[in-house]
Amino acid sequence: MKEMVRYGFILALICTIASGLLAGMNLLTKARINAQAQDEEEASLKEVLPQGERFEAVRAEEEVLYYKVYDKSGKFVAVAFKASGKGYSSVIESMVGMNKDGVINAIKILSQNETPGLGAKVVEPGFVLGFSNKNLSQLDNIQAITGATISSGAVIDSVKKRAEEIKGII
Amino acid sequence: MKKFFNEFLRGIAKENPTFVLVLGLCPTLAVSVSVINGIGMGIAATFVLLGSNIIVAVIKNSIPQRIRIPCYIVVIATFVTVTEMLMKAYSPALDRSLGIYVPLIVVNCMVLGRAEAYASKNTVMNSFFDGLGMGVGFTLALILISGIREALGAGTILGHRLFASFEPAFILGMPSGALLVIGLLLGFFNVLKGRKA
Repeated sequence: MKEMVRYGFILALICTIASGLLAGMNLLTKARINAQAQDEEEASLKEVLPQGERFEAVRAEEEVLYYKVYDKSGKFVAVAFKASGKGYSSVIESMVGMNKDGVINAIKILSQNETPGLGAKVVEPGFVLGFSNKNLSQLDNIQAITGATISSGAVIDSVKKRAEEIKGII
Repeated sequence: MKKFFNEFLRGIAKENPTFVLVLGLCPTLAVSVSVINGIGMGIAATFVLLGSNIIVAVIKNSIPQRIRIPCYIVVIATFVTVTEMLMKAYSPALDRSLGIYVPLIVVNCMVLGRAEAYASKNTVMNSFFDGLGMGVGFTLALILISGIREALGAGTILGHRLFASFEPAFILGMPSGALLVIGLLLGFFNVLKGRKA
């Protein structure tokens, strides 16, 4: 019995020290992790809508639904939003820039972990550029990557689905 | 000094965690699709190994024999979480491509194996060099495996195209390719070892 109390005490002590350390580490890195995410988001927004001057997040309960994009003269010209779909071995997340009239300007793959040489080709211009200047009904005609139908389909379907949803609310 | 150097070298060749001890193969198989993943995983695991080896060697005398494993796991998990936070803060792209395999370093038997088999019985300095050697050995093994898989499976090295016209063997990028490459390399090193003996 006495032993058990001692063991418990030692384990509790180690765990307390460990959680203290982690709390400190979290304080140190939290701001930077958030800033990194913000930077990346802004960079990808610029990439899919280069004409955009100001990006204004439209939120629903803290979560960003989409961005309203204004050009130099302050006119509302386009929207940008994230779409994600289950690919072959990962969730593929993309940033989509869509003009106000529902024509896709450009998309950028934010994260994926598909098979290298096959599904991972979704990030390459050969596939991504296929989305430019397409309206929603034309999205189905985008050429899938040879040998990576599932990954290509995941991107196309997720972009189409989100685009339709967003188009309905703007 | 020479003694420490030998501790260090042991992990790279004579007791290489991947090819000789055959420990920690799960992350090796999973992340070795590209060289950059291999290097990232190697560095992360080396950092965890170093940290856990040092701490375990420091506290080894105050930990009762019967609860040593949970204590080691807490130490290892702490270092893994620290690594994950640092990676998220300073290299988010790498963090995303390694995904779940960073937190899974906690259960990498190479790390626990060194804590249990080495650091809990040796001095802090020795454990430091053991951890460093094992980590570097693990990293080199990962670079070798992922180099072969990326070059032949995707036709690139670190994302740069290698050959102008070459149809990559996609199977090497798949899980089955990982098993093939590691199996053949293991066999190759065993033959080498047999020759020497």
